[in-house]
Amino acid sequence: MTALLDINDLRVTFNTRYGEVTALDSVSLNVNAGETLGVVGESGCGKSITALATMGLIPSPPGRIAGGSIKLAGEELTGASDARLRALRGADIAMIFQEPMTSLNPVFTVGDQIAEAIMLHQKVSAAQAFKDAIALLDRVGIPSPAERARDYPHQLSGGMRQRVMIAMAVSCRPKVLIADEPTTALDVTVQAQIFDLLNEIQREFGAAIILITHDMGAISEMADRVAVMYAGRVIEQARADDVLDAPQHPYARGLIDCIPALGKGETELREIPGVVPPLHLLGAGCAFADRCAHKFARCESEKPLLADHGHHPAACHAVEEGRI
Amino acid sequence: MSDMTDYKAESPAREAWRMFRRNVPALAGVLILGIIVLLTLYGQFFYAGDAFDVVWAPHEPPGATAEYPLGTDYLGRDIIAGLLTGGGPTLAVGAVAAAITMVIGITLGALAGFYGGWVDNLLMRITEFFQVLPALLFAMVLVTLFSPSLWTIAIAIGVVSWPQTARLTRAEFFKIKELEYVTAARAIGARNKRIIWTVILPNAMPPLIVSATLTIGVAILFEAGLSFLGLGDPNVMSWGLMIGANREYILDAWWPVTFPGLAIFFTVFAVSLIGDGLNDAFNPKLRER
Repeated sequence: MTALLDINDLRVTFNTRYGEVTALDSVSLNVNAGETLGVVGESGCGKSITALATMGLIPSPPGRIAGGSIKLAGEELTGASDARLRALRGADIAMIFQEPMTSLNPVFTVGDQIAEAIMLHQKVSAAQAFKDAIALLDRVGIPSPAERARDYPHQLSGGMRQRVMIAMAVSCRPKVLIADEPTTALDVTVQAQIFDLLNEIQREFGAAIILITHDMGAISEMADRVAVMYAGRVIEQARADDVLDAPQHPYARGLIDCIPALGKGETELREIPGVVPPLHLLGAGCAFADRCAHKFARCESEKPLLADHGHHPAACHAVEEGRI
Repeated sequence: MSDMTDYKAESPAREAWRMFRRNVPALAGVLILGIIVLLTLYGQFFYAGDAFDVVWAPHEPPGATAEYPLGTDYLGRDIIAGLLTGGGPTLAVGAVAAAITMVIGITLGALAGFYGGWVDNLLMRITEFFQVLPALLFAMVLVTLFSPSLWTIAIAIGVVSWPQTARLTRAEFFKIKELEYVTAARAIGARNKRIIWTVILPNAMPPLIVSATLTIGVAILFEAGLSFLGLGDPNVMSWGLMIGANREYILDAWWPVTFPGLAIFFTVFAVSLIGDGLNDAFNPKLRER
């Protein structure tokens, strides 16, 4: 059986003043109904571009989908018409954004905004849509939803606003829900509540969730499977437990080592030295080579491909040759 | 906790109104403009008299006769009657011209700012074309071509003054279209038309409302300028026409030009006070500087 959302060999390029750069390179991901796929990586790894490409929201120009396919329940999205994509967005695929502070329109009440999302895809009256909006606010755990529906975004706290965003995203019972760092801007306690809510929503609606994050804690809590991204490529993909317990790629190891552990007597935070290289400076070799402790000659000259080297798929020459 | 406090929902517009109400100069502006509007609307019911009728000897100074307290002009026409009947056309031309300015400016600016690329290039070149033409001369040409009437004057003023509004709108659109709630609106499946008019435009309104108010002031001055140059509608009394007709005799009689001049001054002053007040109300942070 094919997956509900099947991204295959996706390539996205952007025209920049450095010429055309490849933001996503042969990215393959898939997620099934009721499943949560975690996508991790530092800023600039291509996580958000993956999400936008799936929504059909790559700003074009300068960006474009240069190759590969995105299939939602068997339907190809990469060449689909604007009208078809618009009909799917919000109805079948929905997205929760990183910044609940800025992703709600400040001049309309939150109830109106949710009602608008409903009316874009369902033939209901404005009054009925507003009632549905109140029911949704209630569903996402907002106290006195009828009053809150008449509030403006700036009157709500960050956690409340993210709940509103979730209510809007699930208003048409999407099959796929993309959450782009949904808790980055929130307090830790609120983060846990939002994750609980996402889990509940998933159980109730059976949606597939793509959780984009750089927080390994979130991955361990939420994800069934994990894809680790680096410089526009998926460099490791497996069940969440496998990646967390036995990361293969040196970058994945680094990410997991970076999680500070309580009670281990560590006095310094660990880090991965260096930063993600700018996309226009990517050479022929492994994009991670400059930051890698296990680098050897082959890493400079040949791009490693995602393949199973014994444990689970990883794109690393050192793993392939058994050096680590 | 927000859910424990019982507060009334306050829309951004309502909040701006609250700020505006506390602004004394802006309220003074509303008061002055209110008086002027009431006088031009209802003044004639209390002070009968046709502005074009010759009622007394020419150049009667103010205060010389009890019947015509502000005196008469070079033909012996009553100045107060002129002020009361001339206010309506002056204000109407100002308002209509400002409305035309806003409609053209907002439409073109919104399309240019939203779509960018070649649409933006094309529309901005057109805008620049209108911007480099000397506004007053261009308006004069238009009015002469289409024979002076209140409508052609209003349209001419609107046609020459929209570029600024277009640029302002475009800049606001450029800024707002990058914001996350616009992407979020796309993500729920909204189409471009909807995003332009119901998502971005309401958020771009505050500076545009301010600009519209100030445009009314500029348009009133413009109308006065055209009338002063003899291009006003000769069949309709307006403040500009009074000044224009009497300007040759200014050394013999100061009052026929001074009183309509003061009327224009107070109107534009009041409109500017209101515009500034709106500006402060929409940008509370600027006010505290």
